[in-house]
Amino acid sequence: MSFYFKTSRLLVSRCNSIALQVPKNVRNIKRWVAPTLRELNKRSKNVSSNEEIQKRSTFIEWNYNSEVFAFGKRLQENFNLVTLQRAFVHSSFITQEENRQKQLGIENPEIMLQDNDSLITAGQRLLFDYVTAFLEHSLPKVPDEGIRAFTTYLTSISNLAVISKNLGTFDLILSDNIDDLTLANTLLALIGALHESSGDEKTYLFVRDFICTQLNQKDLYEIWEISSPFESLRSYCLQNKLAVPECRIIGETAKNTVLSAFHVGIYSKKILIGQGFGEDVETAIQTASIKALRKFYGISDNMRPFDFRIKLENKYSEKVKLNG
Amino acid sequence: MSNSHLFLKSGFPRAPLQNGVGRYICQLQRITLKFCKNNGSSRGMREFIEKQLIDFAKENPGTVVYVKPRRHRTPVIVAEYLNGDREWHNCRNLSKEEITQWITLMKTQNGSSSSLRLRKMWHTDMPSIQGPWTPFTLKNPASNLVIFPNEELSKPLDVEKSATEKLIELFREQRLSEGKLEENRGN
Repeated sequence: MSFYFKTSRLLVSRCNSIALQVPKNVRNIKRWVAPTLRELNKRSKNVSSNEEIQKRSTFIEWNYNSEVFAFGKRLQENFNLVTLQRAFVHSSFITQEENRQKQLGIENPEIMLQDNDSLITAGQRLLFDYVTAFLEHSLPKVPDEGIRAFTTYLTSISNLAVISKNLGTFDLILSDNIDDLTLANTLLALIGALHESSGDEKTYLFVRDFICTQLNQKDLYEIWEISSPFESLRSYCLQNKLAVPECRIIGETAKNTVLSAFHVGIYSKKILIGQGFGEDVETAIQTASIKALRKFYGISDNMRPFDFRIKLENKYSEKVKLNG
Repeated sequence: MSNSHLFLKSGFPRAPLQNGVGRYICQLQRITLKFCKNNGSSRGMREFIEKQLIDFAKENPGTVVYVKPRRHRTPVIVAEYLNGDREWHNCRNLSKEEITQWITLMKTQNGSSSSLRLRKMWHTDMPSIQGPWTPFTLKNPASNLVIFPNEELSKPLDVEKSATEKLIELFREQRLSEGKLEENRGN
């Protein structure tokens, strides 16, 4: 990458000097720009494949203890430093060190480190409980299936890995290789470590502030796609003692052409509960059912934003309770 | 940004990880101050280290500060951000105040802002709040009460006037103007 930046900086200065010779009223992008960018991209790929990325911890200006201390302070948490350090040590690192010492001829290698396996297990349980409790409180009308879908999204490895990386764990992790799973596990271990050092309230706030906020401004329908919406709507109406939903065409245009459009409304006892559009009647019914369901579940397009200031009410015992 | 910034990395103004929705995290994770102990160009940097560095470190416990003396080299600030950016800034002959300003900038931004070409000054995940357009969107409510087939609505919208109609119109205008002329004469 450094090569790319050096070269690009040179080129930028060169293109500045070239630009002086060109009449000023010409404002298009020059014909040489695209081929140059292509060439730069090609070269940077070659360089990065050969060059091994230097770990930050191999630099002279590196102090692991200060880094770990600053990590805790950055998150505005009071971690127990020993537990926090343990959260970064993966079992693969300990095995790797032992093998290295054995290769050097030490028969009984002693590594004064504890791995974070127990913290990961604890963190996973806590994360799942707190996220589910938060969602159940924020979306009281959504059925279990939906809550499960949102929880799966929030606690997925890819999502946790992004959060973990952006909190600055990458340089601190002690593991033989760092991939998405390692990053996600480190975040789980951090949650476990925080619970060990600061208790329920702080751990819940951590989960709320860093994991639940990922739902902010997201389209919930993209995360949870309702399968067979009209059947779901019918069963919803049955359960809630509403009249059986009926579909009626409100408007249609350009029928039997490629540009056909249908406007369908769904009525329950002559009350309009949802309307939707589609290129055929079937699609329009699906869209209308989704609209109606989302309105019933309280996750419509214009829903209130999530309240990320909810606090934990009671001590976490059997079931986590939240108050608004 | 102008055309000469084509080779800069481009992007939109974004807050990483919904920063500030839950709690605010300073995105500067570590800062390295490199300076010379006796060269004149490092004077401001030395003053900063003597007078303000301890306070800075106390106020920002989340930022790791490294100080690296090097003989006869230009003073430099290297800032590293949580998104992996590394920003290198030359501080040759800068005064203590100027260095403070640069460090404050680094503390408050979320990446090396000078190495990013902003494509727009804003960004949104939801470009439209109206939803997709359909032929029924913005329809005139009056058309709900029309009984079809309707003669008025069955006509094409762009019927041009025929030559005869244009001639008749011209003739009428002429008659009008002539009438006005006679009135004027009569007066």
